[in-house]
Parts: sequence; C-alpha cells; structure tokens
Amino acid sequence: MNLVQKAVQHGGKLAPLVIPHGLTSGTGLMNPSIFIDNDGEILVNLRHVNYTLYHAENEQLFPSRHGPLSYLHPEKDRRLVTVNYLCRLNADLEMTHHAKVDTSALDVEPIWEFVGEEDCRVIQWGGEYYLVGVRRDTTTNGVGRMEYSKIEIDRENWTVKEVSRVRINAPEPNDSYCEKNWIPVVDKPWHFIKWTMPTELVKADPETGKCVQIFVKPTIAPPADQRGSSQVIRWGNMYISITHEVNLFKNYLKQKDAIYRHRLIVWDQELNIVGLSQPFSFLDARVEFCVGAAVHQDDLLVSFGFQDNAAFVLRVPQKVVEDLIMEALSNEN
Amino acid sequence: MKIEQLVVDLSKDPFNPTLNFDVAVEYEKQNQTASAVSFYLRTAEYGHTYHPSLTYASLLKAAHCFDDQNDRQATVSNCLLQAVAYLPYRPEAYFLLAQFYERSGQWQECYTWAQIGLHQQPCGALPVHVGYEGQYVLVFEKAVAAWWIGRKEESLDLLHQLDAMNIEPGYKNAVKNNLERLSNVDV
Repeated sequence: MNLVQKAVQHGGKLAPLVIPHGLTSGTGLMNPSIFIDNDGEILVNLRHVNYTLYHAENEQLFPSRHGPLSYLHPEKDRRLVTVNYLCRLNADLEMTHHAKVDTSALDVEPIWEFVGEEDCRVIQWGGEYYLVGVRRDTTTNGVGRMEYSKIEIDRENWTVKEVSRVRINAPEPNDSYCEKNWIPVVDKPWHFIKWTMPTELVKADPETGKCVQIFVKPTIAPPADQRGSSQVIRWGNMYISITHEVNLFKNYLKQKDAIYRHRLIVWDQELNIVGLSQPFSFLDARVEFCVGAAVHQDDLLVSFGFQDNAAFVLRVPQKVVEDLIMEALSNEN
Repeated sequence: MKIEQLVVDLSKDPFNPTLNFDVAVEYEKQNQTASAVSFYLRTAEYGHTYHPSLTYASLLKAAHCFDDQNDRQATVSNCLLQAVAYLPYRPEAYFLLAQFYERSGQWQECYTWAQIGLHQQPCGALPVHVGYEGQYVLVFEKAVAAWWIGRKEESLDLLHQLDAMNIEPGYKNAVKNNLERLSNVDV
C-alpha cells in the first residue's frame, strides 16, 4: 500500500500544488520542500523546470524519440533550467500565495547546462530564511555544490528576493565532483547530514561557505544506499527524516533508468540511526522524490514530486507516523 | 472532480488506466501539461492491453500537451506516430498528423496523412475530444494541402463539397474564406 493511500485512509489529506499555467507554460512543477517557520506559517519551495520528464513505465512500449526516460527541454534550448517559487499554504494545505524567487541581484551567466538552484530545502536559521540546494552552473563541467541562498520575504505583497548567495565547500579536500541532497537538521543551525549511512554530520558557515566535518558515525549496513531527502526534524524525543534509494537499471536502449523508493529513518538525540522503515512509495510511480517534511498539529506534512512533473503535500496522521516509526525501530535490516 | 480527489482515488489502484486518465484530463483542463503527460503516459503503458481507446486517446492528448509547451515538435509527432502504429485503423491520429504538417507548411506530408486518414474506417467516439469532428476534417486538410502542391482544381472541388455539407461553424467559415480567396486566383 502506498503512503498516500495509507495516510488518507487514516484521516490524512493530499494537496496538489499547482501554479497558474501563465507563469509556467505548463512544464514541470516538482520536488516541493515544506517547512513551518517560527511564526507557524506553512511555507513550500516549489521547483519549476523548463522541461517535462518523459518516463514510460511498465513495459516501456511508448518511449520518446530519445528513449523511455528523457528530459524534454525545448528543442532549441538544451539547458535544464530551474527557478523556484516560494508558496504559502493555509492549514488546509491550500496554496494562498506564490512568488517566484527573484534571484536577479545575484545571478551570473550560467556556464553549464543545468541552470539554477535545484531541490532546495527551506530552512530558517539565525532568524533568516534560506533555500539550500545544489547549483551546477558555475563551472564548465557541472561541478555541484550546495548553496545557501538567503531570501527576504515581503509578506504584505508576497514577494521573495534572494539577498545573498554562498557556495558551500565540501569538507577538505573539497575535490568531489557533485555534492547534493545534504539535509538540514532543522533544530541545529548550519548543520547538515551530508551522508546518511554511515552518518556524516557537517557544519557549514553561512558567511564563508567553509564546511567542517563534525562526525562520521558507523551504522548498520543499509539494504540499499540511503540518500538525503527531507530535512531532519524533531519527533518527540527523537529525530526523523525521509530518505530515498534508487534502484538503477538499464532499459532496452542500455540507458540509465531508475525506480525511486523512500524510507523513514529514526535517529536518537545524538543522531545515531536507531531505525529504518521498509521502503515505500507515495503513489507507485517509478520516479518520486521527497524534499520536505514538517510537523503540523501533531501530524507529519510530507512534500513530494511525482515524475518531476507534479507536486503534492501529504498530511500523514500521527498514528501512521508512529506505525512507521515502530516499523523502523523493529526492522532488523 | 477536483484533482485532489482524483489522485486519492488513484492511490487506491495506482495502475488503473481509467483512473490515471481521469487525473490526466483534469490536469490538462488546468493547462498543467507536464502533470497531464505523466498520467497520460501511465494510462498508455498500463492500459494498452485491455483499454485501446484510452491508450490511443492518451497518446493523442500527450501530443497535444507537448504542442502546447512549444518547441517540442519531434515529441509531438512521435506521440502521434505511436498512436498510428497502435491503432492504425482509426482516423484521428492521421488527422492530427495532417494538421501538424499543415501548421509547419509541409504540404505533401499534410496531404498524404489526410489521404491515408480518409481510407480508415469510422470508429466509435474516443473517451475525450481530440479535435476530430468527423471525416470531413480530413477532407478539409486534404483540400488545403492540395492547393499548395499544385492540385488546385482538386482543392477547389473539395472545398465546394465541404461548403455544401453541414459542418462545424469554424470549419464552415474556413471553407468559405478559402473559397473566396482562391476563387480570385487564376487556376
């Protein structure tokens, strides 16, 4: 049973996230990141891309010209461009406001094909709001680094402006090709889980971008490599986060194809992993991706993208979360 | 029905072609074409064995969604060609291909697809409207294309036939406009 079905069956709610076509030309709205700020506002960063993911599932009988999985960007523009919208939701998870994040003050000419800050998690640290995602357009070969994008929100007019941008180094020797999906630990300012299993915690300075490793802790051997998805959030006297795993395979053209599944991870107060749930999907699509989680009225709000083309927030009732946690704690993986 | 309820229904039976199709149609109504494409493709992939009309209509609608996004013409034609290959006896995909080539001024292709479409059998209605009003729309495409490939008398003849028919007002006007314009040109 997928998580949407289970959550709704127990009194949860699914909310599609849609921005008017006039702003997006209908291309993908994906990988939303939900966050509840210090004033209790429900914020979501919604990623808009200039492509449509074409993914033929099942027997892959109806592929695109480029194969069963392809990113269909404009034919005269090979770039995969991301812009971000910061949205405000009400308690019923209806979108009441949306504004494109104005990055114009800090933009430089991109020099690689993946343009913009991707899969941003929303966070509020030191009283400031940040989008923290990966940017790959600053080198000619697509080196990816996480970035702090500090934003200012004008709540009256609902406009959002990027006011500073700091590229975060990887811990020394800082020679990796692509760093992405570092997940913020919401109640530990400037700290990220850089790697889940084993658990690597790092701290990144928001002014300089300098990053240091705080610890690497051994964990049980994961049944599949667990990668960062949602923020790490408090749940009672523990931490939880949602991770993803990717089952890579070659399709009939020998192209890379994938099935994504997620798990709930339970951490103790010292960020030792103490539980890992069974894998689950949101809606049984092959490509789904969770980038956000937040506690709201004792329930868990989880935001996820469906095939890079649609975005949703799911209210998961407390009981379902507790069941998942129990499953994780008793899982002998 | 709202997208929210349709997706919740889908979550209970996520590979059901009809439920995927319903979600796709609703997203398309809101011009959320990327979202619609995802669910149309799922309809086709999970429905091709037992739901031929849904599968065929989904391929045509996916083409329409990509067309709406602009500058994805290779994908538009690919979806239409897949529909032709899937149910080659239905006329709708031939019509849409003819229309596709009409828009880009590729008149021989337009004429050819319209002509092939006219040789298919009338079929039951699709579960969603795709712009195919009846066999006369293929005649119209053929008439327009014929003018540009040196078959001017054939073009006028077909337009006169269409003018005498009871057809949808948009087509009626287009036929009259074409006749008015072309009648003033030396054949």
